[in-house]
Amino acid sequence: MPLAAADDSALYRIERESDTSVLRLSGDWGRAHRLPTSEALAAALTRDGAVRVVIDGGELTRAHPRVAAVVHALQQRLDRRDVDSRTRALPESIRSLMTLARPAPQTASVGRGPRWITRLGARGRGQFDAVLLVARLVGNAAAATPRLALGRAQARWPDFVALVRETGAASLPVVTVVNLLIGAVLGFVGAVQLNAFGAGLYLADLVGIAVAREMAAIMTAFIMAGRVGATFAAHLATMEANEEIDALRMIGVAPFEYLVLPRLAALTLMMPLLFLYAATLGIVGGMIVGDLVLNTSPMSFLGRLEDAVAARHFVIGFVKAVCFGVLIALASCHMGMRAGRNAAEVGRAATRTVVVSIIGIIVIDAIFALCTNALGV
Amino acid sequence: MARLSDTNAPDRGIVVRDLRMHFGETLVQRDLSFHVARASIFVIMGVSGCGKSTLLRHMIDLQQSAQGDISFDGQRLWTRDAAERAALQRRIGVLFQSTALWSSMTVGDNVALPMQLHTRLGAAEIRDQVAFKLALVGLAGQESRMPSELSGGMKKRAGIARAIALDPDYLFLDEPSAGLDPMTSQRLDTLIMRLRDALSLSVVAVTHELPSIFTIADDSIYLDDEQRTAIAHGDPRELVERAEHARVRAFLNREPLAERDDEEPIHGN
Repeated sequence: MPLAAADDSALYRIERESDTSVLRLSGDWGRAHRLPTSEALAAALTRDGAVRVVIDGGELTRAHPRVAAVVHALQQRLDRRDVDSRTRALPESIRSLMTLARPAPQTASVGRGPRWITRLGARGRGQFDAVLLVARLVGNAAAATPRLALGRAQARWPDFVALVRETGAASLPVVTVVNLLIGAVLGFVGAVQLNAFGAGLYLADLVGIAVAREMAAIMTAFIMAGRVGATFAAHLATMEANEEIDALRMIGVAPFEYLVLPRLAALTLMMPLLFLYAATLGIVGGMIVGDLVLNTSPMSFLGRLEDAVAARHFVIGFVKAVCFGVLIALASCHMGMRAGRNAAEVGRAATRTVVVSIIGIIVIDAIFALCTNALGV
Repeated sequence: MARLSDTNAPDRGIVVRDLRMHFGETLVQRDLSFHVARASIFVIMGVSGCGKSTLLRHMIDLQQSAQGDISFDGQRLWTRDAAERAALQRRIGVLFQSTALWSSMTVGDNVALPMQLHTRLGAAEIRDQVAFKLALVGLAGQESRMPSELSGGMKKRAGIARAIALDPDYLFLDEPSAGLDPMTSQRLDTLIMRLRDALSLSVVAVTHELPSIFTIADDSIYLDDEQRTAIAHGDPRELVERAEHARVRAFLNREPLAERDDEEPIHGN
């Protein structure tokens, strides 16, 4: 006998005795790489209209639990086809194993699944509920902010300080690198183009307005979505999975005030500060490139900047940064707290936060562009 | 002291010799020698923190900070050959304390994964095997449920179904009945004994549930947290009366220990 047959031919054969099919099991099922499936066996055994099946284990060289699994499944299939089956000469250990396997309990029939119109409606309701959840979150945030400002919210100072550190100071290195480079890239592209028209002087206008009004806020928000938003979402989702949030509720702590508010406050405070820092660095990046490519001295660059970039550009960027901070905080807390209770959901909550935040950032930015355009600022 | 079962050759089953375990500088247990006979249930008992789970983790090769020797059917666990070690590990099924079912997979996939990774069986062949394993533990037809939808007792049983997925020779159970109600716990004990008989499993269980210990154990050791070694060895039904050490009798009788007034009563749970 081969050590391990590549197919299942050595494991059984089927014989026919008038209206009875006999399945003779043989060989060593434990070492086989292929096993017959109950489905194929049931089909083969009942092919010619057999009404009785006998499963004979007399030629098995080893009593392996795999035999019991296949015989068990086969007998269930034959039962469903109203074919009478019995076993003979099965090894004792396999028989005792099979008596241990209990059939599935009869469950109450739930009938066929809901119709498509019902499923569509349920999905619509689900979407509507999701919108309601977001609305409730925003409403809660608005309602709780005064309490937070008065120091009466159920949040702990040390947590808040740690969150401020996590969102603010800990983000500085990556904010520095990204914005310095963005300013430099803008500066380089601008320098080459403006120089073609002999307008190199206006580099400060281009870099200054682009950075202050758009790029600094957007790039910083992207960084915060990926760095901080994902962390918040994963943290809250893990807490939810471990029933930690339920435990908070049970000691009378409102999860919103204790978990969401500090995060919202930290991000809303830190985003505009990071924006100011990022805008400064972006302009410095552009200035360095201007010095290197156009030989514009930093002093003349700054002088031009003062004339060209009105304070309103910074104000617009600043307001946007606040909005982005609120968006990222609410998105991450929302995704984290409504995540399902398993490991994969934690990852999904983080991913969803980043995706929703990025889309939201762009949408908010577009709305700002429309509004400022209409207002002529 | 070693009580070798008569029906077994000494090298069959699991043999632990002179095992000494430590966490860094801290000694956990020393001089552990015992034999787990084939097709028997061996219980490791002791109070919380005495090193029961550490011993179990050493026996299944998840921890190696030990001196001594562990062998399975004569084959040494701590060999240099990684392939040999992995092959031996596949003959070991483990039910973890928290069941450790993979929460993002269905119950059926949890049981199927070891077979998908370690056998060449096709999908339909694995389906038959998974259905049977689940039927064995009384979870027939529950393949498509997620672990989060199961009760505590069902999770334990699903964990056992996964542990026996590769038809192991040895089954390790870490606190199988902890946190279960008495009825569920009793049913789980029955299941473990039936699996031992039907699959000729050598079962090693870490537990401090007394009813469970008296029901399932064929043999046992008591790990002492003070002397840091096994101070009793044998059938717990006999040890309850005849153990040399008062601490073992107190543990098995769920009694406070009079002569150790500096200590709280020994916990029975």
